[in-house]
Order: sequence, then structure tokens, then C-alpha cells
Amino acid sequence: MTMNELSASTRVAWAVCIRGMQRIRARPVLIIPTVIMPVVLVVSFSGSFSSLTRIDGYGTDNIYNWMAPYAALQGAVFAGIGGVGSVADDIENGFFDRLLLTPGSHSALLVGTVGYSALRAFLPTTAVLLISLLIGGLTIPGGLLGLITLYLAAASMAMVFCLTGLVIVYKLKSHRSLMLVQVLAFGALFISVGQVPLSFMQGWLHTAARLNPVSNVLELARQGFLGQVAWQTTWPGLVALAAMITVTGFFARRGLYRLTP
Amino acid sequence: MSSGLGGLRLAGTQTLALARRSLNNERRQLVSIMPGLVFPLMMAAVYSQQFGRALALPGFPEVDSFLSFILPGSIIQAVSFGGTTAGTELALDIENGFFDRLMASPVARVPILLGRLGGTAVVAAGKASFIVAVFLIFGVTIKGGIAGTVIIIATAALLVLAIGGLAQIMAIRTQSQEAVSATFPLIFVSIFMSSAFFPTALMSGWYQKLAENNPITWTIDPVRRLVIEGWSASDALQSLGVPAALAVITIMGAVRTLNTKLKAG
Amino acid sequence: MTVVIEAQGLERSFGDLKAVAGIDLAVEEGEVFGFLGPNGAGKSTAVRMFTTLLRPTGGMARVAGFDVVSQAAEVRKNIGVALQDAAIDPLMTGNELVRLQAVLHGIARPEAKKRGGELLERVGLTAAADRRVGTYSGGMRRRLDLALSLIHEPHVLFLDEPTTGLDPTSRLALWEEVRRLNQDQGTTVFLTTQYLEEADELAGRIAIIDEGRLVREGTPAELKASVGAPTLRIDIDPEHVDQAQSVLSRFGIDRPARNGRVAVGLDGGVAKVAEVVQSLESAGVEVLHLELDAPSLDDVFAEATGRRLEGATQHHE
Repeated sequence: MTMNELSASTRVAWAVCIRGMQRIRARPVLIIPTVIMPVVLVVSFSGSFSSLTRIDGYGTDNIYNWMAPYAALQGAVFAGIGGVGSVADDIENGFFDRLLLTPGSHSALLVGTVGYSALRAFLPTTAVLLISLLIGGLTIPGGLLGLITLYLAAASMAMVFCLTGLVIVYKLKSHRSLMLVQVLAFGALFISVGQVPLSFMQGWLHTAARLNPVSNVLELARQGFLGQVAWQTTWPGLVALAAMITVTGFFARRGLYRLTP
Repeated sequence: MSSGLGGLRLAGTQTLALARRSLNNERRQLVSIMPGLVFPLMMAAVYSQQFGRALALPGFPEVDSFLSFILPGSIIQAVSFGGTTAGTELALDIENGFFDRLMASPVARVPILLGRLGGTAVVAAGKASFIVAVFLIFGVTIKGGIAGTVIIIATAALLVLAIGGLAQIMAIRTQSQEAVSATFPLIFVSIFMSSAFFPTALMSGWYQKLAENNPITWTIDPVRRLVIEGWSASDALQSLGVPAALAVITIMGAVRTLNTKLKAG
Repeated sequence: MTVVIEAQGLERSFGDLKAVAGIDLAVEEGEVFGFLGPNGAGKSTAVRMFTTLLRPTGGMARVAGFDVVSQAAEVRKNIGVALQDAAIDPLMTGNELVRLQAVLHGIARPEAKKRGGELLERVGLTAAADRRVGTYSGGMRRRLDLALSLIHEPHVLFLDEPTTGLDPTSRLALWEEVRRLNQDQGTTVFLTTQYLEEADELAGRIAIIDEGRLVREGTPAELKASVGAPTLRIDIDPEHVDQAQSVLSRFGIDRPARNGRVAVGLDGGVAKVAEVVQSLESAGVEVLHLELDAPSLDDVFAEATGRRLEGATQHHE
């Protein structure tokens, strides 16, 4: 790829990303559930399970410090899947053909959508943090670095599930099929160290949550809210994210290129 | 509306016929029942494996396992999926004009509402029985015995009548399926903000107050005692009474909303 | 003249179904080529192959000198495409779409702005440019779609059923625009349509496609002449169709007709009409109504396929 082609592709990716924003501006209601859902989650999980921090293993006295990163990632993941919604609309109404008629690289379309999904993740993450600060007395012992790792994890998780959504939508070509991805995302987050530490879990759940790469990402995202950011908690999360993005990215790209000659 | 015994019997037959229609719709949409069963079971499976340690917390009721504790919550969660169906179907009928045809027919007004609710209540009882059966297989004992089990299933059906009545009020007011469906997350959240998954005694602050004053907590607590403690007439009465009272209120509300609309329209 | 659209044995199957069953054609630079056929004849499938959106399962196609499979990106640079139903994102405004389209074709921002403004002006959408497409009428959407497909000044323009579902006024306006593009800029236009009238009005050359095959090809005049005699259509009591047909077959070749009507390619033309009526009456068939038409594309189509084109009659006048 020459420099010229690269800059053209970057412009296409950026335009696709901007287009997502324009769609939100056109119908702001669409973004509301993405923000409300994680806020409700953090409040109800924290409220219901607040007494659990009395048991050893949480590493914090304040349940909000434990639940806020979980709810933020949950919100980010659903924001990421929501970002695929515009692609599903395009495919359903035929506009996608017009995008495929670009003489440039089709990968730019994919990169733009993933970028847009990652940006969407900032909204729910920020909303969860604000509510938790406001009513939950959230503290951030990890400071700025802790915040950065949370936002990084949130944006990356949005990308992973955006790519998963694209794999499905390119294949099944319908908005409805995104339900599948939502169920998958819910399961992946549910069977992880989302609500309780690994030491609480028994039997099959313990095994499943330990093997689940989302657990590593949660530990990465959460560390700055339990203490300082440390490299030994950071790298497994980064590796998990890189691996998930690589795998889902590969299949999404293949799905896109199968749509046209 | 016709009065007297004959009128009552006619209304009864009409209710039955319409209940059968809504039941047939449900059967056709068997797939749509699945999430309502799978999701609560999955949640119960995960929670029972991760909250074992919580049983030792002072203030947690004496239970054999977390699974016994969560049974009432799982049942209510299961039946709440599709609890708004009575409303969304009504909204659909209003949207596509079938409702007007019913209104123009000599069928009395109340059966139109009740029939639909009856259909969803039967489905709810079926779902509740299924959840109970699965829990029994996984070793939960219902200390309240057969009588207690029947009360639990009846409670689930009554609660769906209450939710359905609410959904019908929404349906008649908004005449939009989408708006009615939007009430489902609210119900979902109100189940979460109750004693369904954790005892209110272990909550604190405003959240505890909210959970304690949630009618779902009033329903779940006596049901739970039937599961983990044993038979008690007063618990049976309370567990049936709360959703029954709620159902009467919401259904009366739905009938009134319908009458107001008919007069206005 | 150079050939800009070329197909040899072009094929596309979906499972067992052959949507396009081997077509050969050559469209020369500056032509308006009409691709005429009923719904499901394979028109859109063919266009999707020419425009690189669908991979052929057999044969080859070249557009603007490039192979549609191995040189897809080059093909895309040279073509403008307005697809069926003007599929455009209803949540975006006209301006936003024009800008996006410019980026997709690698047009620098200042130039995109200038050209986009001109195009919107030309299709009469300047006032509506900042409105969401969802609020546009059908005609406005088609015009915007056309503007979008022209942003990179393509040499070849593909229009897939550009006026289906439009009211007569909007249809005329779109025709006018297509004609202007072809005459002023020399743009080659490949147009699919199920309307005979549209093909007749716009196209210099027409191919008729039916069940995935080209059944006729030529200029409208050539095609009509090939059918020969004018068509005499006679409305009769449906019970007498067989008798009427046997009478009519003495005057020329049977033509397909709807129920309650018989038709014949009348050798000898107008002069023979009176004789036909007399013969029918002496055979005991009452003539309820009759009309004599010079050959139309409809007749060409009927002669080629044995069927009438759906909706053809309403555009017959």
C-alpha cells in the first residue's frame, strides 16, 4: 500500500466513523439505552450485593469500586454492538452496496465502524463513573493511570464485540441477528470475575471464569479502583484483548471480503 | 354489558374463547418463551456457584443452598419475561385494527382484556412449574410440601396478571407495541431491586429502603419462607394476597382506561 | 468506437437457479443501452456483476476496459451506480451523503464541496440539502441517488430501474437528466427497466432479457420492424375465443392476448380490418371492441417470450 492509498483509506475510515456520529445526532434516543443500562446495573448490583465486601477477597470495602468497572465494561460492550447497528441497517436497506462501491480498500469501512464503536464506549463508561462517584463514593486509588486503563479496556472490549457483531451481520445480513451477539456478550461477562472474585467461585464456574479472557480484561480494568496499576495485572489483560481483537478481526475481515469479489 | 347469571356465563365463555386465542398465539411463539426459561436458569446456575460464601454472612437466612434461596426470584424472573405479552398483543391488535373489529362485535369489553390476561397466566403457571421441576432435579427441597408448591405456582400466575394489567393500561394509552415493550426493562429492574437475589437485611441505605418497600419483595419473602422454612397458612395467604391485590388494581385500571377511551373515542 | 461494457457468456447461479444464464453483449462509448425485462428476469443480477458487487459464476465481463473480478477497484473508479430503490441512509442529510460519497472516491475536500454543490443544484436539491433523507419524497431520493453516483464524474453510469415507483412528473424529470448527461458529457448509460416506454424513450439500443437470457437485441426501430405486421386486437365473448382464433389465423400470425381478447399480426394492415370483422361475424363471433396498433416494444417482447410485460398496457397509450 502506498502512502497515498493509506491516507485515502484513513480518510474513508474517518468518514465512516463521523457518519456514525451524524446518525446519533439524527436520532439521539438510540444512544439512551446504552447509557442508562450500565448505570442501572452498577446501582442495582452494588445495592444488592454491597454486603459481600465484608468477606475477604474483594480487596475493597466499597462495592462500587468493584462493580463500576464491571458495569462500565458491560456498557462498553453493548455500545460496541450498537455500533454495528448502522451496518446492519445499511445491509438491510441496501445502502451498504454504495459503500462497497468505493474503489479504495474495503478494510477502511471495517476500521471506521470499529473506531466508531470504540468511541461510543466512552459514553457509558463515563456515565457509570459519574454515578458511582456521586452516589457510591467511588474512589480511584490508581489515579489517572487507573482511569486510563479502564477507558482503554472499555474501548477495546467495544471493539472486540463490534467485530463479533460484524462477523454475524456480514454473514446473516440482518439487524435481528445482533441479538445473538448480545446474548454471547452477556454470557461472556456473566461467567467472569464480574460480580465476585475468583476465590468465591466453585466447581464449573470457577474453571470457566478462570479460562474466560474477559476475566483478564476485567482485572486490567478494575486494578486502578482496588489499588495501584501494576504490570503483572496489566499484561494478561492486554494479551487477552489483543488475542480477541486479532481473532474477531480476522473473521470480520474475511466476512466483509466474502461479500464482494 | 349484559347483567344477571346468563350474562355472566356469556362473559365467561367469551373470556375462555379469547384466552384460547392468546394461548394459541403463545404456542406459536414457543421460541419466544425460551429466553424466559433459559435466562433465569442460567443466572441461578451461576449465582449458586458464586454466592456460596454469602450464606455465612450474619443476617443471611438459614438455607440448605443458595439455589433454595434464589428459587422464588428465578420463578418471578421467568414469568416476568412475556408478562407484558398481554399488553403488546393488545397494542398490536389496536395497531392493526383487529381491536376495532372486536369492539364492533357483541363481545363484552371486559372479556377482551381478561381473555388475554388469562392466556398469559396459564403460560406463567407452566413456566413456573418448569422452573420448580428443574430446581427439584438439582436437589432443592420445597419445605412447604405440595401445598406450598401449588401456592408458589399460583403466586407466579397472579403476579403475571398484575404485570399484564399494567401493560394493558400502557397499551390502551399509548396504542404502541414498542412503548409497551419498553416497560419490560422497568419490571426487570424492579425485580433486581427487591429481595429476589439477595436478602434485604444485608442491604443498606436508600437502596435497602427501596427494596423493602418493593411489592415484589412483599411477594417473594413469604414465597421464600414456604420454600426454606415450611408450610404456613399466613405465608401462603400473603404470597397470594399481594399479587392478587395488585392484579385487581391494575386490571380495574385497565378496564377503566378502556372505558374512558371508548367514551372519548 | 470503443466498447466500454462487454460480457461474454456471463453467468450467475444461486444454488440450482440460474439468474443470469450466459449473456453476451457489447455497449459502445456514448450509448444509452436499455436492459429490458420483467421482474426477476436477471436484470439486477447482471448489473450487480457489472458493478463488481456480485461475483460471476461463469463467463467474463469487462467495464471501462477492466475485468470486473480481477480489476474490481479500477472498475469502481470508472463507474457511477444508482441501485434499485435508491437505497440511501435515511438518517443522513443530502449534504452529509454527498461528502461521504466524495471521501469514498478519494476526492479532496475543497473539490468535493464545489462539485457536491453543483450536483445538488443540478438535481434541484440545494434547498433540501440539509434535510434528512428520510423526509425526502421518492423522486427526491432518486435524484439524490443520481447525484451521488456522479460525484466522481464516471465514464459509465449504471441505473438499475431508476424510475420504478415514481410518479409521472418525477419520471420525466429523471429522463431529462439522463438524456442531458449522455448528450452533454458523453456519459455511457446502462439502464435497466421493466417499462417499455422508458426503454423506448431513452435507449439507443435495447436488449430484452427473460429468464436470464438475452432474447432480442437492437435499436427500438429495428426491434419493432422485426415484428412486422401491426397488431389487431379484438375483444369478444370469451366463449368464442377458439372460433375467433381460427378465423384470425387466416389473416396472419397469432399474437398472445389477455383473456376475452384475440390478437393477430395483421398482414396487409388497415385495409384488411373490415374483412376480418366480416369474417368473424359470419362465423358467429360478435366483435365488442377492436384496436389496431403499430408494432410496439410490447409486441417485440411478446413475440420473443410469448408473454406480455407486466404493467405494459398502462404505458401503452
